[in-house]
Amino acid sequence: MAQTSYGTADGGPVIEAKGLGVKFAVNRRRKRSLREMFIHGSKRDPNAQGNDFWPLRDVSFEVARGDCVGIVGKNGTGKSTLLKLIAGVLIPDEGEVHVRGKVAPLLELRAGFNDNLTGRENVYLVGSLHGMSEKEIDARFDEIVEFAEIEAKFIDSPVRHYSSGMKVRLGFALISQLEHPVMLVDEVLAVGDKAFKRKCYEAIERMLANQRTMVLVSHNEGDLRRFCNRGLYIRGGELALDTDIEAALEAYNADTKAEIAARKKRAEEKKKREEARKQAEQEKEQGDGGQAA
Amino acid sequence: MASRTLAVWEHRKVVGLLVRRDLKVKYQQSVLGYAWTMLEPMAMTLVYFFVFGIVLNASRGMPEGAAETGGFLLFLVAGILPWTTFSQILGEAPRTMITHSKLITTMKVPREIFPLASVGTKFVEYLLTWPILVLFVIVLGGRPSVEGLLLWLPLAVVLTFAFGLGVTLLLSSVNVLLRDVERLTRILTRLLFYGSAILFPASMVLGEDNSVPAWAETVFQLNPLLGIFQMHRAVWFAGFEELVPTTLALTSAVVGSLLMLVIGYWTFRRLEMSVLKEL
Repeated sequence: MAQTSYGTADGGPVIEAKGLGVKFAVNRRRKRSLREMFIHGSKRDPNAQGNDFWPLRDVSFEVARGDCVGIVGKNGTGKSTLLKLIAGVLIPDEGEVHVRGKVAPLLELRAGFNDNLTGRENVYLVGSLHGMSEKEIDARFDEIVEFAEIEAKFIDSPVRHYSSGMKVRLGFALISQLEHPVMLVDEVLAVGDKAFKRKCYEAIERMLANQRTMVLVSHNEGDLRRFCNRGLYIRGGELALDTDIEAALEAYNADTKAEIAARKKRAEEKKKREEARKQAEQEKEQGDGGQAA
Repeated sequence: MASRTLAVWEHRKVVGLLVRRDLKVKYQQSVLGYAWTMLEPMAMTLVYFFVFGIVLNASRGMPEGAAETGGFLLFLVAGILPWTTFSQILGEAPRTMITHSKLITTMKVPREIFPLASVGTKFVEYLLTWPILVLFVIVLGGRPSVEGLLLWLPLAVVLTFAFGLGVTLLLSSVNVLLRDVERLTRILTRLLFYGSAILFPASMVLGEDNSVPAWAETVFQLNPLLGIFQMHRAVWFAGFEELVPTTLALTSAVVGSLLMLVIGYWTFRRLEMSVLKEL
């Protein structure tokens, strides 16, 4: 029932999600040891009565070719989970996702780099893992290195000697060379210094101009407004809004404001209660003092 | 199932890349890379030869006349070299998915390719032990038989790696959910080392003039690894029936390996969803 499928590009939506849901077991102790299992059996299983938690449920949407969709929402509402489902690296418990065409995942830019191999070897390895042929990498190698601003003398030294900035830059330079029709971006735009950020923006704009589809998860309103024409607002694991990015951000900001206001109110009430209590104590003390005297 | 196999086949290039990466990392870290990997089994062989062969006299279990064609030393080398590969497969099996977690959580590929690549790397390393083995065979005067080279050798290699792949599929997925499988595996490896008669001829357990009860002999032969490693050695000892696996050992080797592969794959697919969530 639950499945993720990848077809070839033809008409119709590029990404199609129907009733997506993922279930995680809460209170599930990650490391339940074998010893416990053998000795206590299922009786003392700490996970037995643990209720299921759905970080994402009943999410349906379609993304057309050339769309750039921004996903907004609070931390921990399932934005990254949704991206993983689209990327096919997580299997949904409910519903299905169909993605037409290959996916370029900018989920973790250092992913796949092996610290013991050189920059050059890593570019070839990760590039090939993502489906580039050796010839394609040969043709783009110089461009990748130049984009990543890695000096020629470093490209043949092991990646473990690179700074974290260098690794991320090389990762972005490589993944942005993929010509896959779907791009998934998870907050990685915030890497590198200002100059490099600008280059990243330009690269992404170039890719979008090419009729490619992008799904972007970010907390940066500037990024979202700049690239996206659609917005999905996820609240509590459910798709609250599926509109243009402005409306989605507005709804998100309105909810955030309401939440902040509520928090303030609670804090004020607490303060008031505290003051009232203090006053009462003082009065009591005075009363005691009066008695003693 | 069929579409899944096809998907793995389509990603064979990725498997090749992972294997090449692992070999590269392993052998470029030290100049003596290859020499080091061979040094350990060689040193162990010498220790075992001294302790078991000379001190405990396990070589008395060797068939008469085998001394001229390699004797106990060749018997040890021909068993320990494939065993080293196999125990390395067991040792890395539990961590296979965990070490690749970054790749698994960002790249859409059939997840089976990671165990496959891990076992593939070990296969290449096994092939690299061959020069040493052949050297010993020539120097010690081992006598390979036609039957051995055409039947026992291919069968032993296929079964070793089928079993290894099954174990890797099983342990790599289970260990993500129950991390102490790793420790258990280490103990089991030790047990299997002695249970598979690497250091002494199996005829010492199965012979008539010993105190091993009959049921224990049956259990002993039900271990698929016993037959597999007997085959590995039978290749070099032409004409010694005692070193060829019994019918029971042979059957359990074939059936056990295939069963392990099926169980491993089934478990792997069953646990795939939970494994992806935990990684």
